[in-house]
Formats: sequence, C-alpha cells, structure tokens
Amino acid sequence: MTAATPAGQLDPVRPAPVRRAGAGGPAAGPVVRRVAAQVRAVRGWLVLVPFLAFVGVFLLWPTAAVLVRSITPGGAFGLSALERAVSGPYRSAFVNSLTLSAVTALLGGVLGLALALAMRGLTRPRWLRPALDSWSSVASQLGGVPLAFAFVAAVGTQGIVTKALLGVGVDLVGSGFSLSTTAGMALVYLYFQVPLMFLVVSPAVEGLRSTWQEAATVLGAGPVRYWRTVAGPVLAPSVLGGMLLLFINAFSAYATAYVLSSSGQLVPLQIRFVLQGNVITGEQDLGYALVTWTIALLGAGLLLVQALQRRAARWSRA
Amino acid sequence: MSLDTPRRTEQDGTAVDAPTPTVTSGRGARRAARFVGRPREARPAAPGRRVLGVVRWTFLGVVAVYFLVPQLAMARFAFQNVPVVLLGPDDLLRGWSLRPLLDALAEPALWSAARTSALLALATVTLTLALLLPLAVVAEVRAPRLRPVLSAVTLLPWVVPPIALVVGVAATFRPLAPWFLSSTFALVPFYAIWAMPFTYRALDAGLRSIGARTLVEAAQSLGASTPRVLLRVLLPNLVPSMVAAGGLTTALVLGEFAFASLLLKDTLPTYLVVYQKQEAQAGMALALTVLLLTALLLGTVVRLLRRRGLGVSTTGL
Repeated sequence: MTAATPAGQLDPVRPAPVRRAGAGGPAAGPVVRRVAAQVRAVRGWLVLVPFLAFVGVFLLWPTAAVLVRSITPGGAFGLSALERAVSGPYRSAFVNSLTLSAVTALLGGVLGLALALAMRGLTRPRWLRPALDSWSSVASQLGGVPLAFAFVAAVGTQGIVTKALLGVGVDLVGSGFSLSTTAGMALVYLYFQVPLMFLVVSPAVEGLRSTWQEAATVLGAGPVRYWRTVAGPVLAPSVLGGMLLLFINAFSAYATAYVLSSSGQLVPLQIRFVLQGNVITGEQDLGYALVTWTIALLGAGLLLVQALQRRAARWSRA
Repeated sequence: MSLDTPRRTEQDGTAVDAPTPTVTSGRGARRAARFVGRPREARPAAPGRRVLGVVRWTFLGVVAVYFLVPQLAMARFAFQNVPVVLLGPDDLLRGWSLRPLLDALAEPALWSAARTSALLALATVTLTLALLLPLAVVAEVRAPRLRPVLSAVTLLPWVVPPIALVVGVAATFRPLAPWFLSSTFALVPFYAIWAMPFTYRALDAGLRSIGARTLVEAAQSLGASTPRVLLRVLLPNLVPSMVAAGGLTTALVLGEFAFASLLLKDTLPTYLVVYQKQEAQAGMALALTVLLLTALLLGTVVRLLRRRGLGVSTTGL
C-alpha cells in the first residue's frame, strides 16, 4: 500500500482496483458489479469442490459411518455400545490413555517451553539453533517404530542404561519400571512431545520483543513482575494450545504403543484388538463406539486449541 | 522486487523470523552500543546472569543426553556383538561390526517393502500438492474468504487419527469396494488426508512469506498473463515450501504404521516390526538406519527452508 505512492502519478487511469474492498469499501457500486462479485464468489467456492469431494469420500464418509453405527448397535438406535465402550476393561483403557496423554502433555509442555526459553537469544555456538530446529522437526514426526526400539535398547530389561544403573546400584527392573507401564510409555512419548512443544511454542517465545522488557524495566518492573504481567499472559495461549496439541498427539499415537506393549490397556490398542480379532457379532459395534469416543475427545481438544490459537494470534500479528 | 521489500521486512520482524530483527530491537541496539563504546558497567546483573547461564547449559545438557542416549543405545545394540550382561568398562570397544546391517540389507523383502514405501510417499506427495497447491494459491490471492474454511477442513485429520479412520474405512470400503482396499495404493488417499494439515500449513506459510498477493498484483499490473504469473512468478517462489511440504509428507508416510499394519500392507514400518521379531539385532540396525536416513531427509528440508528465510515452525498449527 505504501509502495503504491511512488507510482501514484500513473495510477489515476485505474483508481486502485487492487484492493478488493470487502465490507468496509463503498458498496454502492452499480448492480452489475455486485452481481459480478457474487459470481466471482461462487466461482471461488467452486474451486473447493474437488477438494471437498476428496475429503468427503476418504475422511468424512468413513467417519460418519462409524459414528452412525456406534449409535445404532445391531441396527436400531441405542446407546448401549457407547456405554459399554466406557465400562469394564475399556474404562481402564480410557483412564490409562487419558493419564498418559495428560502427563506427557503437561511434562512435555513444560520441558518444551523451558527448552524454547533456554534457546532464546542464544547465538553463540552457531550450529546449535539450526541443529536443534532440525532435530526437533525430525523427532516430533518420528514417533513410531524405530523410536520404540531405541528405548528398548536403552532402558528395556536388557538395555544399556538399565545395566549401567545396576552397576551404580539402582535396580530399574526390580523397582517395577518397565516400558509397558504408563511411566515407561510416558518416558518414550516425551521423546516426541518435547520437540513438538518446542516447535509450536518457539515462535511465540521468539516473538517476545526485548523492547517490552526494556519498557517494563524503565517503568520500574522487576523480572518477576515482567514475567507475571507481560510475558506470561502473552505466552499463555500458545503454551496452553501447545499442550492441548500434545494431548491430542499422545492420545492418537499408535505405533510406539504397539511395539512397547501390543496387548496394552490403551484406547488405540483396544481399537485394534476389536477390529482385528475375529469378531463376534456385536463386538464390531464396540469398536465403533471406542472410535466415536476418541473422535469426540480429540474434537473437543481441537476446538479448544483453535480458540486459544485465535487468542495467541492477537499478539503474534499485532 | 522493491515493491515487495517493505512488506517482507515487516513480516520477518514480527512473527516469521525474529532472530533477524530491525536495528531498533534490543540485541541489535546492544551490539551497536558496543561499537559506540558504551562502558561495561552498563549491565548490573552480571552474577545473576552467570547463574542463569549455568542453569541454561545444565538444562540443555540434560535434554541432549535424553535425546542422544536412546540412539546410542540402539547403535550399541545393533552393532556390538556383546550381550549386555557381559558388558563392562573394559570391553566397550570390543566386538563392533557392521555385519547385522549387511544381513538386514541382504533381505529381498526389505527392498520390496522399501520400494512400496517410496512409491507410496511419491504418490502421496503428488496427490497432496495437486489437491492443495491450487487451493492455497486461490485462497491467498483471490478469495481470502476460503482461508478459514481450508484451515478448518485441513485440521480435521487431527480429530480422526489413522487408528480411528481405519475402522471407518474397513466398515465402508470393504463391503462396497473390496478390490480397492486390496490394492497397496489404497493407502495413498488416506495418507494424503493425514498429511493435509502439514502440507496446507507449509504452503500457506510459504505463500505468506513471499507476499504472494503483492507479487501477483505487481506482475499483473506489469501486464503478465495469468499462466505467466503462475508459472514464472508464483511457482519458482513456492518451490521451497513445496519441498518442505513434500519432505514432511514423505517422513510421515515412511513412518506410518497403524493404517498399513491394520490393512495388512507390507510397508517399511510394518516390515521393521516383523523383522525385528525374527532378527533382534539386525532389526535394530535397520531401524537405526531408517531413523538416520529420515533425519537426514528432514534436516535437509529444514536447512533448505532456513536458507530461503522460512521458519521451520510450519509443523504444528
């Protein structure tokens, strides 16, 4: 917009048609123009059609089918399957999954934030920042099978860390630690949760202008007050949003959990169990109900993330 | 180019790339002040700062150990022929060999699984880019109203993780189109769905950081036709973010396990699990190799992006 001024002398021929004036512009144009705008709007939506069709066929339709079947067990409407999916052994699967996700989201969130804060303004070993960025994007994407193997080699019953600790007198296996327990899984999940949080929260941390701190100091605020009243509130939405994202991420992780404890009491593993086992009639509805609960949980989480994200955007774009 | 500059610095300064701030920012000013010759005593909190430095480096050290130890343990398990029980301080260097990896690489089943995964990755990247690139361009340049819609729709896969989607897929496609699910390439559309959040965000960030709308307006006002604008102006500028999107998608496809495992497809991750059960050591060696190769791929993508002034934080949201 500012760049248009030097070319201003040339412009009178076309009086700034570039800005598509939305609601604020002079809407009192001739009818023709309004119709043309409407046609253009419709055409804009037409671009979406193939994409929406694709999403509809391969995502929405299968999902909707599952949702519908979970509330019509055996062909008639009823909530029995949904109730069964959160009772008995399945209830403990949900409890375990929720615990694991909450713990790793909280711990991963705090550690990821601490990592971002520790890296803030750190320029001295020049390779460190790019190396950590690259490693984070690798580690946050690479949950999965190799990661589980790595932890088996490190702290499994035959792991090298287990052995080293035994040498110092700490009996890891004897103390009840195992990779298939919630604590063990949490240790593994943090491996991708911390880097993910680091990636999510870094832009917000880097976005803290040092001028804000200088202004606060000039106005007489100590570091504690600065963090409590300026930096804290600015970071809060990104941090909470990041943690929710970690929660979603942990709840839906599958490969790592499968390798570490394939018969484990976690929702994704239970879904596989119901889906794969040679199913008796009626058991299928149970699987659908498990999926429905999962989707409901993750959907609620994502809506929260979005709301927080909108709040965070106020700061990063202002 | 000069048209584009003010907007670019404005964006870099705010959100995208904070470490290269304008001169008014603190670090730059401080650095400038050093040249002017401001006295050292200007920083009063020196001891506190040193404590903070110790805490910072200790924390970074602990994180580094946590990140490194599992990889090193995997490397030891894979390449050292000494059982953990016998391992002591004196024979740490004994019995290392590349034999397990060579054994793993000699399996023909590995190569067919790897080929399947590579083809799946290629097909998925092509499909996601074909679906999302035109839409992202239209949404940024022509119809900003599409933006919230796209951003919401592309987040849906977060709500339906692969393990949940595969249940629905089995329920709907198996009775209707069994031939479809029996093909290995049935995985492609679902992987494309799953990669959508990453691809769209990478493309969107790319379009914003090059100031796509300004570029298009400038090109058009200079008389370029629409195809010319697309091919000569937008596309070359978008290559880094397309590579980024492709790299992320490839990494996702190479690591995806739930879908492939439940639909009984032989991809790299499912092969890894099966093979590790038969050959523990060689399986580890293979897993480590896959991990390192994927890390290299992603690392290259990230470095490529950084050089073009794009952030890495295209991942999450």
